[in-house]
Amino acid sequence: MKKTYLTLAMSALLVLTGAGPAHAQKKGGDVVIGMTAAPPSLDPHATSAQVARNVNLHIFETLYARDEGARPVPDLAEGVTISADGLTYLFKLRTGVKFHNGKDMTSADVVASLERYRKSGASASLIGAIDSVSASGPNQVTIKLKTVQSTFLGNLSSPRAPIAIMPSEEAAKDMGKASSIGTGPYKFVEYKPDSHIKITRFDGYKPNPAYKERDGFAGAKIAYIDNVTFRFMPETSARDAAVETGQIQLNETTDGPTAKRLKGNPNFQVIPVLPFAAMILKFNMAQGAGTDLNFRRAVAQALDLEEIMAVAYPDIYRIDTSWVYGGSAYHSARKTPKQDLATAKATLAKSGYKGEKLTFIVHNDRPTVDTATVIQQQVSQIGVNMEVKVADWPTTSNLGLKSDTGWNLWTHGFGIEPYEGPASAMSHWVKGQGQRKADPVIDGLFEKFNSEMNVDVQKKLFVDFENQMNDQAIAVNMGNYGLFQVATSKLKNFKAYRIPRMWGVWLD
Amino acid sequence: MGRFIIRRLLASIPVLFFVSLITFGLLWLVPGDPASIFLDASATAEALDRVRHELGLDRPFLVRMGEWYVRLLQGDLGTSLLLNRSVTEAILERLPITLSLTAMAFVVSVLLGVTAGVMAAVRHGRAADQSLMSLALLGLSIPEFWLGLVLVWLVAVLVPIFPAGDYVAFAKDPLQWARHLALPTFTLACIQMGFVARMTRSSMLEVLSQDFVRTARAKGLPEPYVVLRHGLVNAMVPIVTVMGIMVGALLGGAVVTEQVFSIPGLGRLIIGAVLSRDFPVIQGGLLFLALIYLSVNLAVDLLYAAIDPRVRLG
Repeated sequence: MKKTYLTLAMSALLVLTGAGPAHAQKKGGDVVIGMTAAPPSLDPHATSAQVARNVNLHIFETLYARDEGARPVPDLAEGVTISADGLTYLFKLRTGVKFHNGKDMTSADVVASLERYRKSGASASLIGAIDSVSASGPNQVTIKLKTVQSTFLGNLSSPRAPIAIMPSEEAAKDMGKASSIGTGPYKFVEYKPDSHIKITRFDGYKPNPAYKERDGFAGAKIAYIDNVTFRFMPETSARDAAVETGQIQLNETTDGPTAKRLKGNPNFQVIPVLPFAAMILKFNMAQGAGTDLNFRRAVAQALDLEEIMAVAYPDIYRIDTSWVYGGSAYHSARKTPKQDLATAKATLAKSGYKGEKLTFIVHNDRPTVDTATVIQQQVSQIGVNMEVKVADWPTTSNLGLKSDTGWNLWTHGFGIEPYEGPASAMSHWVKGQGQRKADPVIDGLFEKFNSEMNVDVQKKLFVDFENQMNDQAIAVNMGNYGLFQVATSKLKNFKAYRIPRMWGVWLD
Repeated sequence: MGRFIIRRLLASIPVLFFVSLITFGLLWLVPGDPASIFLDASATAEALDRVRHELGLDRPFLVRMGEWYVRLLQGDLGTSLLLNRSVTEAILERLPITLSLTAMAFVVSVLLGVTAGVMAAVRHGRAADQSLMSLALLGLSIPEFWLGLVLVWLVAVLVPIFPAGDYVAFAKDPLQWARHLALPTFTLACIQMGFVARMTRSSMLEVLSQDFVRTARAKGLPEPYVVLRHGLVNAMVPIVTVMGIMVGALLGGAVVTEQVFSIPGLGRLIIGAVLSRDFPVIQGGLLFLALIYLSVNLAVDLLYAAIDPRVRLG
């Protein structure tokens, strides 16, 4: 009898802990992922494009990486010792880590990779505080900073254009020329431009023993799938058809109606990824109406955020005006500004704006154009005259990122920055980078934040930053939007994240 | 004939030069460059400048143009900024794919279009004529992207007979190659089929009303012989002209079809290059397409002489 009770108790425990056949991982099988575009480069240091991250973060790893909550945790490093003055970081590397070419990773590879990145990496400013990098042992790297930077580990673990560790001989190559040889759970097989990239499980991969499970971009990255193919399929309908006919096993992004249609279908799993980005409206503060605080405030007061997001992202949005995503320790539930046309008109009357036509630039992505159209209609009610100029991304971004003239307002997604955290979200507005004219208060807050080691003080500084953004109407954060991913129900343990992670998942 | 070919080849040199000049000029006027494709919306101006420098885009326009022409004279179309390979290699990789798609669409549209046109002309004014010409008009009126999407939904998703997209090389699996190209071929051929059918019908009607056809019938020749040997052969000159135009239209249509069916051909290469401002690929790709157009036009002119002895080349 006792034995029976024991068996029952153990069975109950197994059910409660979720163990058992339902979670039996299976090695093998191939997965094809339908992607919207091809990456501009497979050199991880060369690009900060989302499509490149999708692939590169399966092949490459970083010293520190972000966990599920976007906090920096050790990945290729075992850990770090920071000197009392906060200027010296001593990284102890994991041993026995192999590159895909069979070579052991050493401190020389780490030094070469970091040197390459800080010289010409796509986001080189992330590690701009580094004074020197040196190998202080075969498995030890010492980084000296010019000044104390509280956000250094966060920057080092940024997945934006990952500070990937590659063999020193690859790191010696020009930017964009490094071969895809990393330490990740998958190794590169082939790249057929306009068609696909294929990676295969790296059987020499040694998952980080400090973890039991996957954890964001870190954790135990155990690959069960044999081969993963990223197929470039720009047409949404082509990706939808391919996932429904079983040609692909995961559609990186689909539209709301398709997600709704497939939601009840037992053959598929629909995975909402919310938040994926924040939708922002920014002003060109270097010229024209955007230089006038009352004009900017009037536009902000005239906006009905709920209506904008409901039109642009009808099935997947959330009104949240914090500059970091919910779940971050720095996130605060900010009061949603309400549309107030009477106040907006009065504020506009105090400005120097006299009804001149303004240029509102936007790239040719449907929800972004919808956002601009609704904003144009809403501000027209207070007498603001805008012309929406739609162009492709290279044209729009070239104008908005580099020119003080030719545009007054710009709306676009702000995706990776709120995920990375406060420093990343703030940095876009430092020295007037996003708004074309520096705001001394924002610059000062960013400087203090970067050197402040106390988290509570950092939180206060970030609230001050968010208040300043609102008070000075530097930009309007309209809310978070998401995307839908559709996978075959045979793909098990898949969880939405910043990239479609193919570790910790298996095929049934 | 030889002198004609040489003269036409020589005449094509200034055409190609002007094509490259116009392409260069347009690219100079179009704002934006590939640097922004490498970076995101939070890129700093310094990062953009660094990428521009690495890609060699900060050098004066005339210098880049001069270098391009020097390389072109050496048979080098340059290197893609994004694909990590030479433009020639990128084009040659995709050429068999686009050529097989356009060739299959060409064969299908000519075979079905000419057959329908001949049948409609023979059954002139009857129900068969009206039905076939209505079908031809329908084919002409349906946009390729729409037809492609409907076909995918019908015979790939609803009734899974054909794959929804993608491409399998002939050398890898000929059967799968044909299966994967079936829907794109029909999509691409549909408009041209209607075009050929209508052209064949009107040309055939004109020829069939000629005296020599009446004579042939009076001699007691079998009707199929009269229609095909005396009618169709003599109606071929305008049809061949249409075929020449068709090749150009099919190459243009392949751009859309390749996009809808995710086929990695020349069309997708050029569209992708335009969207990401991969200047060397745009220049090389367009020059290559111009070369194909010129070759087809030359072939059509040579065919005239082969079909109609009254046409003299010289």
